[in-house]
Amino acid sequence: MIDIISLTGLDISEGISKGGFKANEIYSFYYNRIKKIGSDLNCFVDVYAEGLTCEGRSPLKGVPIAIKDNICIKGKRITCASKILSSHIAVYDATVVERLKKSGLVVVGTTNMDEFAFGSSTENSFYGPAKNPWDKSRVVGGSSGGSAAAVAARIVPFALGSDTGGSIRQPSSLCGVVGFKPTYGRVSRFGLIAFSSSLDQIGPITTNFTDCASLLNIICGYDENDSTSVSLEVPDFTKSLQDNIEGLRVGVPKEYFGEGLDPEVRDAINKVIEVLKNKKAEIVEISLPTTDYAVAAYYIIASSEASSNLQRFDGIKYGIRAKCNGLKELYAKTRKEGFGEETQRRVLLGTYSLSSGYYDAYYLKALKVRRLIKNDFDSAFKKVDVILTPTSPTTAFKIGEKSDPLSMYLSDIYTISTNLAGLPAVSFPCGFTKGNLPVGCQIIGKEFDESTLVRVGYSYQSATDFHKKIPKE
Amino acid sequence: MLDKQNVENVFNLARIEIEENKKEFFAAQLSKIINFIDKLKELDVKGVEPMRGLHIKKNIFRKDKVKDFIYKEDILRNAPLTQDGYFKIPKVID
Amino acid sequence: MNDLEIVIGLEVHTQVKTESKIFCACSTKFESPPNTNICPVCCGYPGVLPVFNEKVLSLALKVSCALNCNINKDIYFERKSYFYPDLPKNYQISQYKMPLGEKGYLEISTGRKIIINRVHMEEDAGKLIHKDNYSLVDFNRTGTPLLEIVSDPDIHSPQEAYDYLNSMKLLLIYIGVSDCDMEKGSLRCDANVSLRKKGAAKLGIRVELKNMNTFNGVRAALEYEVKRQSKVINKGENVVQETRLWDFQKLKTVVMRTKSDAHDYRYFPEPDLLNFCVSDELIESVKKSVGELPLEKKRRFMKNYDILEKEINVLISYPWLSKFFEEIILFYPKAKDVCNWLIGPFLEQVNNLDNGFSAVKISAENFSKIVKFFSEGKLNNLGAKKVLALGLTTNEDIDSIIEREKLVQVSDHEELLKFVEEVISSNPKAVQEYLEGKQKSIMFLVGQVMKNTRGKANPKVAKDILERRIQI
Repeated sequence: MIDIISLTGLDISEGISKGGFKANEIYSFYYNRIKKIGSDLNCFVDVYAEGLTCEGRSPLKGVPIAIKDNICIKGKRITCASKILSSHIAVYDATVVERLKKSGLVVVGTTNMDEFAFGSSTENSFYGPAKNPWDKSRVVGGSSGGSAAAVAARIVPFALGSDTGGSIRQPSSLCGVVGFKPTYGRVSRFGLIAFSSSLDQIGPITTNFTDCASLLNIICGYDENDSTSVSLEVPDFTKSLQDNIEGLRVGVPKEYFGEGLDPEVRDAINKVIEVLKNKKAEIVEISLPTTDYAVAAYYIIASSEASSNLQRFDGIKYGIRAKCNGLKELYAKTRKEGFGEETQRRVLLGTYSLSSGYYDAYYLKALKVRRLIKNDFDSAFKKVDVILTPTSPTTAFKIGEKSDPLSMYLSDIYTISTNLAGLPAVSFPCGFTKGNLPVGCQIIGKEFDESTLVRVGYSYQSATDFHKKIPKE
Repeated sequence: MLDKQNVENVFNLARIEIEENKKEFFAAQLSKIINFIDKLKELDVKGVEPMRGLHIKKNIFRKDKVKDFIYKEDILRNAPLTQDGYFKIPKVID
Repeated sequence: MNDLEIVIGLEVHTQVKTESKIFCACSTKFESPPNTNICPVCCGYPGVLPVFNEKVLSLALKVSCALNCNINKDIYFERKSYFYPDLPKNYQISQYKMPLGEKGYLEISTGRKIIINRVHMEEDAGKLIHKDNYSLVDFNRTGTPLLEIVSDPDIHSPQEAYDYLNSMKLLLIYIGVSDCDMEKGSLRCDANVSLRKKGAAKLGIRVELKNMNTFNGVRAALEYEVKRQSKVINKGENVVQETRLWDFQKLKTVVMRTKSDAHDYRYFPEPDLLNFCVSDELIESVKKSVGELPLEKKRRFMKNYDILEKEINVLISYPWLSKFFEEIILFYPKAKDVCNWLIGPFLEQVNNLDNGFSAVKISAENFSKIVKFFSEGKLNNLGAKKVLALGLTTNEDIDSIIEREKLVQVSDHEELLKFVEEVISSNPKAVQEYLEGKQKSIMFLVGQVMKNTRGKANPKVAKDILERRIQI
């Protein structure tokens, strides 16, 4: 019996088309794994007995995929892991879902997440936290924690997540899988339930760069329904699956290797640098001086936009409605009962930042700091082709460990700047701690240069096998 | 920093009901966060253009053509309460 | 009252005539069954995004140019947040810091140029229907494109405000932006009014007036409010800054029951839409396409045509009417005659058509013939009206109609004499009354001749013959 779970999505599709296995057998295989392991890990919200697909062709035809529960799938319950949307049935397909279906992929269900993507641990979910397949007492990261855990546990070949401040990369790092955030505007946001409109991007979570490149080919591209999507031509990312990074200039920013970085993570990253050096890449020390201010700027911008985006949840058009007397109570009680604590906190922060008298000091100021951060990257990219950093300062922490919101926010320190600058970035597994917890390494690219990131990742994975390690079931 | 009254005002703006005993709790948390965010005061941003997003193209338009959304009933079906094709809500008093 | 100056600012919202909504492709058709022109975007569904309708920009630009505004070349939209059931996202996509047009003016009929503060684009909200103990929401109207046109506090009397609104309406109709029907809600108006001592630099406390549903209502509400405020001031008290609603049944303004908390709209730039650059070329081409504005046309008509001002006012009140007028003039240059026929019988007949002017098929040339034949005596009044009615929606050749219907006016003395003698002999009482000095009786007798000739007699000639015959 072929060990299906160690196959790439590409292999599976090829197997189906060559007659090695049937599409519905593959689906049942994964469906059963999800029902068993997935429920134990609590990484799915809804699972579909019948997969959703369309007639379509692509190198990934017939392969099941999981979708984060904030991306609309027509006719299905899409909740953002929030009570307020627990009864919401999407009335249209997100553009990315339409593209996946039309490429023959089979949607198998929706994955657990932090409510409305607010969080870095998937502990803020109305459906309870997801558990890390490497150590079930630990978090999966967030907010695309369910997707990352599902892929790591091999209960689905790949998944989609969304990334606003690291929400694809950080859980991928904590779960030992590849999580890619494309450049802002590469992938349509139409159908992604918005958190922070100027930061959100959808991206693939896979075990390897081959599948990653194939998925990028399908989901990237201009969408007339999304005014912020770009009409740049989408290269064939699979052409970058080459083991050749000779002469590549890799920037290592000193600000990312200071205090707070777990020593085991630091060691693993240093080893990545060695691997790249062996492949004749050039390592360059760089500085991103505004790094220290990134988290502050991010939380203002993200919360402000989020507070506005969440105003539509009012119990009138969809979702739950609280028992109420009169209109004011309709809003106030529905939103109180429907929103979890972290959501209320973000809405509070965002509403405050935008309110009269504070706009200049907070939101406007944050937008200017954002420009400084982008300038830092622009300067750095004059000297280097990619920037290498740890994805997260630590590995997976214990469920319930980070009860202080601020300390949770600070754990986004390495991923946040790339969202502010709109740049593409990817996290890939680069080692394990003594406690057998995965460590993730991040590389950041120039705007719209996903191809180089794919090439670096592929090259790294040709020389290592961290990405092939599978957690015990 | 932020006090109970601030929290009350902001929750009111955001239309979220809050119990009396939670106001201090949120006020304290938010104060801590705002304190941290005030770090930005250290930065001199004189003459810096605000960055709204990585926008590289402007003038994205749609042609003035009607396209009917065919799943309108789904929209009404999702509503908590409807009547005669309308969304039904408590009486609005102006 | 005499030492107090009235200061009024008007805020006009007009719907912009496009096929589809401003940020989605739903139809803007009026009066559809509830919630039938909707989609996830205009219903504020999760995950949706706005995409801007280019026609809205070009029409908004037309208006801004026609109002002589400075055009901001790099514009963007902002979110204006407030919770209300007719606003599905609980924010409205509007413009705040960077409106499309600023600092323009509208010339009104008195010649005064009222300063326009700003012109900006935004989306309309839905409709609420209030029942006994619940309300109903219809999102058909959400997302309909709106233009907000705000004047400076530069209007100094309720009558001037009325003038301003009429001039604005005419302008918007001329540009083809809107049909400005307050009943249909395609034009709405709010007012701000305050009083101050003549010559004072600072503005007085202003009161916002809402719920005025006609131009007359605006004028009446302002008149009432001015009286009310001056009473307050003359008592030595301060006017309260508040929003008041016009009660058109009780003919007074009343304080709005619940003044929503001092609005903190939390404006910030709409992150789902990028900036829009308005190029100089676009502005130039739009300016050219604006064409002649109503006031310019009126001045030109007054200069070039020998017709009364009040008649010109009627001609220009419909852009199609003044256009038709000038087309007809090319065939028959007697402006006064053409005008009389247009603003009289033609307009009357057109207003009785189901589809108004769009159903009119008669050509300028054919119309000119009717006027010519009337002026030359070939057709009398009744006959000409009949020909018009028959040719109005068919554009049938005028000569054919006249021949077929035998409408040529009979002016021949000999022919008419027969009828006259018949009428005289059949109406001795009227004849007697005329001889006794009752002038009206002659018109009765003329009427009888018209009746007997089935409207074909030349009434002037008939009257002549009657008078002479009776005297004998």
